[in-house]
Amino acid sequence: MSAPEVVRVSAPTPPSSPAPSVTTPPALSLTGVTKSFGPVHALRGVSLQLGRGEVLGLIGENGAGKSTLLKVLSGVHEPDSGALEVNGKPVRLRSPEDAARAGVGIVHQEQSLLTNLSVAENIAMTSGSRAKAATRFGVYRWGHLNRVAAQVLARIGVDVDPRTTVGDLSFVDRQMVEIARALQVDTGAHASPVLILDEPTSLLERDETAVLEREIRSLREIGSVVFVSHRLDEVMRICDRVVVMRHGEVVGDRRTSEVTEDELFRLMVGRDSRATPRERRSREDGGTAVLQVEGLTRGHAFRDVSFSVPAGTTTAIVGTNGSGREEVVRAVFGAEPFSSGALRVAGKDVGSWSVASAVRAGVAYIPSERRVEGMVGGLSAAENLVLTHPGEATRGPLLRPRARRKVAETWFEDLDVRPRQPDLALERFSGGNQQKVVLAKWLSSPDLKVLVLDHPLRGLDPGASETVNAQIRAACARGTAVVLLPDTLEEALELGDEIIVMRDGEVTARFDTSRETPTALDLLEKMV
Amino acid sequence: MTTMSTTTPATTPAAPAPAPSATGRARRGLPPGLWQAAGPAAVFVVLFAVTAALQPAILSGVGPINLTTQATAVLLVALGQAAVLHVGSIDLSNAAAAVLGAMVLALALGPLAAAAPLVTLLVMALVGAVNGLLVAFTQVPSFALTLGTLGVLQAASLVVSDNTTVYASANGEVVSWLFIQAFAGLPVAFWFAVVVAVLFWLVLRRTSLGQALTAVGLNETAAVFSGLRTRWLKVAAFSFSGVMAGAAGICIISQAGAASSFGLGSDLLLPGIAAALIGGTAITGGRTNPVGVVFGALTVALIPITATALGVTPQARSLVYGVVVIAAVALTASRARGAVVK
Repeated sequence: MSAPEVVRVSAPTPPSSPAPSVTTPPALSLTGVTKSFGPVHALRGVSLQLGRGEVLGLIGENGAGKSTLLKVLSGVHEPDSGALEVNGKPVRLRSPEDAARAGVGIVHQEQSLLTNLSVAENIAMTSGSRAKAATRFGVYRWGHLNRVAAQVLARIGVDVDPRTTVGDLSFVDRQMVEIARALQVDTGAHASPVLILDEPTSLLERDETAVLEREIRSLREIGSVVFVSHRLDEVMRICDRVVVMRHGEVVGDRRTSEVTEDELFRLMVGRDSRATPRERRSREDGGTAVLQVEGLTRGHAFRDVSFSVPAGTTTAIVGTNGSGREEVVRAVFGAEPFSSGALRVAGKDVGSWSVASAVRAGVAYIPSERRVEGMVGGLSAAENLVLTHPGEATRGPLLRPRARRKVAETWFEDLDVRPRQPDLALERFSGGNQQKVVLAKWLSSPDLKVLVLDHPLRGLDPGASETVNAQIRAACARGTAVVLLPDTLEEALELGDEIIVMRDGEVTARFDTSRETPTALDLLEKMV
Repeated sequence: MTTMSTTTPATTPAAPAPAPSATGRARRGLPPGLWQAAGPAAVFVVLFAVTAALQPAILSGVGPINLTTQATAVLLVALGQAAVLHVGSIDLSNAAAAVLGAMVLALALGPLAAAAPLVTLLVMALVGAVNGLLVAFTQVPSFALTLGTLGVLQAASLVVSDNTTVYASANGEVVSWLFIQAFAGLPVAFWFAVVVAVLFWLVLRRTSLGQALTAVGLNETAAVFSGLRTRWLKVAAFSFSGVMAGAAGICIISQAGAASSFGLGSDLLLPGIAAALIGGTAITGGRTNPVGVVFGALTVALIPITATALGVTPQARSLVYGVVVIAAVALTASRARGAVVK
């Protein structure tokens, strides 16, 4: 259960109890923590310990349970079973406020500072500081506020004026203010806070990362850190110890001094990861490239990205957060600009490129932010389905509700959308069924040339995933060129005829899976 | 309420398990849509019944004519406002446009005679289109932008009228019949406005243009990502608002034969918005029932009459107006979007 290397044999201490040690209880200790969401077991008995002054790496693929674990630690989710101890004391974290009170602070992946307020205000705005009276009679005590903020900032060695507006700070400085704010939770009650950093470097440029790395290492002096990252080299540099999660379980617990990156890869991905045999299309006899991207560039977001997708093939682009792959495919769809490079659809150079012109050229896009970008929740499922390509559902300018319903019913049957009520508002369907409707909206195009899929299976249950996957393959078989941003490397290996690896805005590798059989490890190596 | 039970089971796998709060919103009471359709009419009927009980005179003679005459211009600008609200924007300049439209008509009637109303509508469509183009392509929020054009149009009215009253000196009969001729006991102008409302309803519910406008109002980002030309749809909505302001201008000349910056029609802005909202238009966009707006306009026109019937002193009339507007909007407002309030 408990990681053996953390148990310290104590010096002769008087208490007669058989407990291994009472001198320095671990800063954080989890025992057999489980958490399920309906049928999904996100955490299956996770036990781990974080020593005082330790920087612990937490790695795992998407869906391995890291996020759930962090939510348990920060009081967002209560575990179904299992025990939590902070500094040797059992705790129940039922809300982020509880976590803050217990001395656990979290810095989220997306920055959560209010950019229009000052650094001091942001730091004061945590739940833990309420007791510290940022205000008196409801009025800000500016002097006090700025002094406290300056102290916290000084504590982690950051040179930022607390009166600066957060929006004016660099990304790294903002990240440090986030850390300062997370630390603020416990300056009063806890000598040794626990700080959780959820992929703090994922959006940073490499050189900025170095600065942050130094700062994180120095946090050892005042507390303990759980550091979540996808970049293994970084984990190896920063952390004392690494815990690897897969399928909701801890599958490895290693000191960084005694492990290699390769071994971590293997632990993370699983030993038996290899491309599943599937009929591969040779990209050569696919004939003309339906989509050609040449030297696409936009500032630091992506540079000199080139690839081409022949009819009936799938190009999967993999990369970590900040690799620029999302931006590239959005540029292909006309949803984001690019500054130089060329884009050709069916051999034709695109002129001024916008979403509307992309759609007319036969490009479809399934966004990862489905509710915001992919669907008009307030319209019915049937209306959403025919919004882009009305086909039968209109005659001239007029809608034909009955024909629309028939079109929708056919799609509902084909994709097994439930409930079979096309006239129900789309926002009332479950995520998987919404995604099916969004997919059908594009598949109903009479002239679908390019299908761009941004995490099409994100948040879908296995059944819906299977349906969506089958439809994507069918579209591909009909000659559509597919660009896929997969959720997992397995998905890329399974579906990609070509796999492109991106890192920091550039293409670092490409694999033609009809000729070679890369493994997840090969891909990961080029991602991080 | 129970229809959703079949779709809820699969909590998502994979990492973050999104918060389920948004999915399980409770819906209770009347079947959805019924109150939205009938609410504005019900509010008007109740208020009318109360008024009639206190002062039976409004049922006979000129009562209904006065009411619908008052309601016509309000209804026209409210329909334009509803179209703009429908795409998620607001048009604060439409009353100023109506006054300018009235002046354009007054000046054009002499030389152009029967063609003058058409020219007025075209000019006002252009004014609306400029509003729409500026909103769509400069991304200035419509509230700020139309507040600006409100000032510009007011200044234009003062310049055109030389700060006095512009009289339709010739060919007044081209438009004056609109409030003289009656159909079924009510002025023809009112029936025209009702026909426009019904046509607007048909466009919204029965055409792909209407569906696209609805999509823009409900979720502009998703509309863009569906390949809709959202900017031009906004231009269309603002142009319609301009045309409706022009139509209200025609009513002003038809009723008064003259227009000035401070005369009839200069105070249409807030009644127009109130009528659209009482008519069940969601200020957040995407939910509009033009037929409901007809009753919204009638309610707005009825409030002063009710206040008089209640014996409220003229000084306190705007108090009654305010209270009734709040109550009516509270009863009829579209709440399909949960807690989102603009």
